[in-house]
Amino acid sequence: MSTTSDQVEAGGEAGTSAATHELSAELLAEMFHKMLLARGVEDLFAKWASDNTFQGWWHPGRGQEGCAVGLMAALAPEDQIMWYHRGANWPIARGMDLELIIADLLGRTNGSTHGKGGGAPHWVDLDLGLMGSGGTLGTAHVLGGGLALAKQVLGRPGIAVSGFGDGTAQRGTFHETLLQAAAWKLPLLYFCENNGWSVGTSFTSSSPTATIAERAAAYGIPGERVDGQDAAAVFQAVRRARDHIVAGRGPAMVEAVTYRIGGHYFGDVGNYRPENELDHYRDPIDVLEARIDPATAQQLRERAEDDLARASKAALEGPIPGPDLIFHNLYAE
Amino acid sequence: MTIATPGEAAPANSPKMKKLRYQQAIGLAIEDEMKRDPRVFAMGQDLTSLGGQFGLSRGLIDAFTENRVRDTGVVETFMVGSACGAALGGAVPVVDITFSDFMFIAGDEIFNKLAKWRFMHGGHPNELPVTVIAGTGVLGGSGAEHNSSLEAHLLHNPGLKVVVPSTPADVKGLLKSSIRDPDPVIFMPNKGLFFSRGEVPVDEDFTIPLGQAAVLRAGSDATIITYSGSVPVALEAAGRLADEGIDTEVIDLRTIVPLDWDTVFSSVEKTGRAMVVHEAVTTGGVGAEIAARLHARLFDRLEAPVSRVCGKDTHIPQNAYLEKYCLPSADDIVVGIGEMIRRPARR
Repeated sequence: MSTTSDQVEAGGEAGTSAATHELSAELLAEMFHKMLLARGVEDLFAKWASDNTFQGWWHPGRGQEGCAVGLMAALAPEDQIMWYHRGANWPIARGMDLELIIADLLGRTNGSTHGKGGGAPHWVDLDLGLMGSGGTLGTAHVLGGGLALAKQVLGRPGIAVSGFGDGTAQRGTFHETLLQAAAWKLPLLYFCENNGWSVGTSFTSSSPTATIAERAAAYGIPGERVDGQDAAAVFQAVRRARDHIVAGRGPAMVEAVTYRIGGHYFGDVGNYRPENELDHYRDPIDVLEARIDPATAQQLRERAEDDLARASKAALEGPIPGPDLIFHNLYAE
Repeated sequence: MTIATPGEAAPANSPKMKKLRYQQAIGLAIEDEMKRDPRVFAMGQDLTSLGGQFGLSRGLIDAFTENRVRDTGVVETFMVGSACGAALGGAVPVVDITFSDFMFIAGDEIFNKLAKWRFMHGGHPNELPVTVIAGTGVLGGSGAEHNSSLEAHLLHNPGLKVVVPSTPADVKGLLKSSIRDPDPVIFMPNKGLFFSRGEVPVDEDFTIPLGQAAVLRAGSDATIITYSGSVPVALEAAGRLADEGIDTEVIDLRTIVPLDWDTVFSSVEKTGRAMVVHEAVTTGGVGAEIAARLHARLFDRLEAPVSRVCGKDTHIPQNAYLEKYCLPSADDIVVGIGEMIRRPARR
């Protein structure tokens, strides 16, 4: 897979601008900190899935952290986000409270869903624009399209993001949403993490196109493919796409090319994968760390360790919910 | 318990009432609510060109901009899914998917997203105000995939409300309540009633609460529990039974979720006999749930088993000549109630 940034021009329309946005040392440091937190949660759940502290299906996001971290750094507070099931990278990168994230995963009442979201998780933080995630793939397309629609109907600022993987790019919701969103020029960003695998089926064996980004042309919108291991490159691509969207020119797509270095879920040994697949893998933490001075990086590592220890301790202290919870939130309360 | 629909409270032809077709009341209710609340918007196929497939909203586009009355493509999955997302984003969508059979095209969006989103996310947000208009009942000659009555599928899936009006006044009052409701509502107008006419209150504040059945006819010998397109059939049968000296009470449920159990139980407690009548197929229908609860609650009071005169366990054929064989008739009701009355007294 190409790891360079390729812009695919929409038919007859200009693509996103080639502008480069400023990426300050402060923002780079913040991105690095979030990436360390995300990796730390990966480590925690690998451990907790093994010793049964965690009861559920952990879909590791290890190795893909650069995508969400780059994306979130490029978004504005008023933007709203729908994502999918892999890892905890998205809410962590958006800045959601780590205790809530871990408590949700552990099914504790001190999580954001009060104990409803354990296992394959549902996190929510409406103030941060983390609107939730569905358990069926393709949710993020139509619901993200709806968030963008509400912004247009109500005249509210910002964009909506539909996050999905290369496997979910096969769903009919991908098509229906882009078709209507492009016709209505909705403020919608399609953000694809192409990790090369849909459970046990490879992207190269199942996609009729070499990239996801080139499918954007069918809807007359710009699509850009970017190296998802480089959070800074993802940041730039998303900023360009966001500029296009907030200018009122309709949706845009960014395809971040990444690696799923773990299984589909924790415990999937992945014996369907070719041996040399990870020969060119670069860890997104290493790629970002190269852009940060070593002293700052060391401080951030210590800070992340403290944050993780504090949040996991607090999360584990939360109670497991009682039976009353099963009848809550079926209807407005 | 309501004895008459509020629409009948004022005398016919009073300045506060207007004679409208059932179908027109849909557009009127949407227009009222769009004027009242700037967050309300409507989307569906052909809304601006045809007023929707059924002319439900004819004229809406004249009152509002295309930002709030939107023509979609043939994208039912997007229509319902984006309505869910738009409600999460603070808007109040009314989405017309025309035929309720198309709920299966947007099945994930209705049965998983609208019904489960708040449950899965611990009540964040607490409210998900989406109204999906999905026509039920039989429209002559439109076949097996455009004529299903699917309310039992919705009853079986917690998290949704289900509205099944039988008169133009109820359409207006219940649709306005549906749009104002904090929960997702599947509003199911009956296609077979589209051209029926009735007096409708013009008052913009006229609403009918969800979960309140109407007792359309008081009686002491048996209770007919019905809704939607079967209401006029049940009323016709009740009139014929009255000629035979049998006094039936007719309850129009008006909403399936929430279901007005108090009205159902107190009526059957009084009459001791109950029949459920609906167009949806008999097996696993709303009538099955009503019968089960009546038997559990009023077993000692019942003079006869609860009976069901409902749609036959088949599909509506494309051939319009065959439709009537699928649906409950006044004859079936008259015969069934007669059998219940003549049944020997219990020990």
